[in-house]
Amino acid sequence: MAKTKEISRRIKSISSTKKITRAMEMVAAAKMRKAIEAVLRTRTYANLSWETVLHLSAMANGNGELRHPLLVSRSETKKVAIILITSNRGMCGAYNAAVINKAKDSIKIHPNVEAEFILVGKKGASVYSQKQIVAAEFPKSDVLNNSSEVVPIIKMAIENFLSTKYDKVFVAYTDFVSAAKQVPRVKQLLPVDINAEDEYLGIVGDPKVSVTKDLIAQKKEKHLAGSTGFEYIFEPSPEEVLDKIIPRLLEVQIYQALLEANASEHSARMSAMHQATEAATDMVSELTLFYNKARQAGITAEIAEISAGANALLD
Amino acid sequence: MADKKTIKFEIVTPERTVLSKEIMQVTVPTQDGEITILPEHIPLVSILKPGVLEIKSLDQSMDIISVSGGFIEVLRDKVVVLADTAERGEELDEERVATAKAKAEKAKAEAINREDYDLSAVAVRLEVVLARERALHKWRKLKNIK
Repeated sequence: MAKTKEISRRIKSISSTKKITRAMEMVAAAKMRKAIEAVLRTRTYANLSWETVLHLSAMANGNGELRHPLLVSRSETKKVAIILITSNRGMCGAYNAAVINKAKDSIKIHPNVEAEFILVGKKGASVYSQKQIVAAEFPKSDVLNNSSEVVPIIKMAIENFLSTKYDKVFVAYTDFVSAAKQVPRVKQLLPVDINAEDEYLGIVGDPKVSVTKDLIAQKKEKHLAGSTGFEYIFEPSPEEVLDKIIPRLLEVQIYQALLEANASEHSARMSAMHQATEAATDMVSELTLFYNKARQAGITAEIAEISAGANALLD
Repeated sequence: MADKKTIKFEIVTPERTVLSKEIMQVTVPTQDGEITILPEHIPLVSILKPGVLEIKSLDQSMDIISVSGGFIEVLRDKVVVLADTAERGEELDEERVATAKAKAEKAKAEAINREDYDLSAVAVRLEVVLARERALHKWRKLKNIK
């Protein structure tokens, strides 16, 4: 009897775990729907603005006289910052591990470059134990309402970049492709550079529509070429326009990255919790089988004992 | 008319794509004043201020859109407006515009009385509301609605 009792206790505990994981799955699904809506709404804006910024950078690094400090790459890269976007809570499968590993991998490729992390979201704190330097930590809310939350982050990035503390600033986040697929990504934010390695030159969202050098070159030929050359005119003046446009559009990029990360997080959590619920169901049915076997074995043994006792009395 | 040049026009805000179609010409309020862009305009980047966009479609009909600021990028055959917020004329509701205007004007009056208040923020808000109102009136005039 002791055995059946133990099994039934386990069944009970697993079914209550299952209830919790199912509830979490529901919550994640609801949050995911909202997050996906938000991410899809802003994606066009973010992509178009990133294209604009890349065009401008193509010009800044060309032979034009236009040289804005945020657009010009430095000849030597000594120190970089990585803005790492993670979730606040766990229970979302390999979501956080994937983006952290991706960031660390890209550090490993360049061993001579010092890297500092700027963390957004609580789970990023695990890089402390991996002997990485952390420059700052920013809180992240689970549901973003407006882009004001990213202002301090982008301000810090721009200030430190201009003061030459960092030579490059990257953002590591998880790109939302679909509810079933999320891709961790590292993107170069500063300097805005069309000549950045392809891996770091992405438009957020679907990799199929991401901007490549070819596309930009093609666009340049198609849309900019003409009798007057490639140059843009700026009104009122290049400095004024770029001073205003670039920080604003970088803000949009970070905001979009946060939205992508949020949508990915909730999708990852939903599927992790779905799997957990399924695993719990399997376990319960297996344990029920064991329980019934044990119970039957117990009854059989009891009957055998009784009949053996009765036989002994008859003899 | 078939060989007539057109512009691929797109206006997006962080929330949505407000309008995306082929057009004949567009007038936008930039910081230095209104500019009208026709096909084959040379590439240009400029800052928008709160105001009214007037768009002429292929069939000569007009679209009115109010914007609260943003940027415009003109390419050889394409115009992209990255607006902070934007509403089409038909989406503007007179009642809501009127209350918003009253509110902004009240805030401004209060701000003038209190010296420590940040007047520029209030002024910007009032400007946005006034731009919306102008867009609404233009649209009504266009459609002959009183």
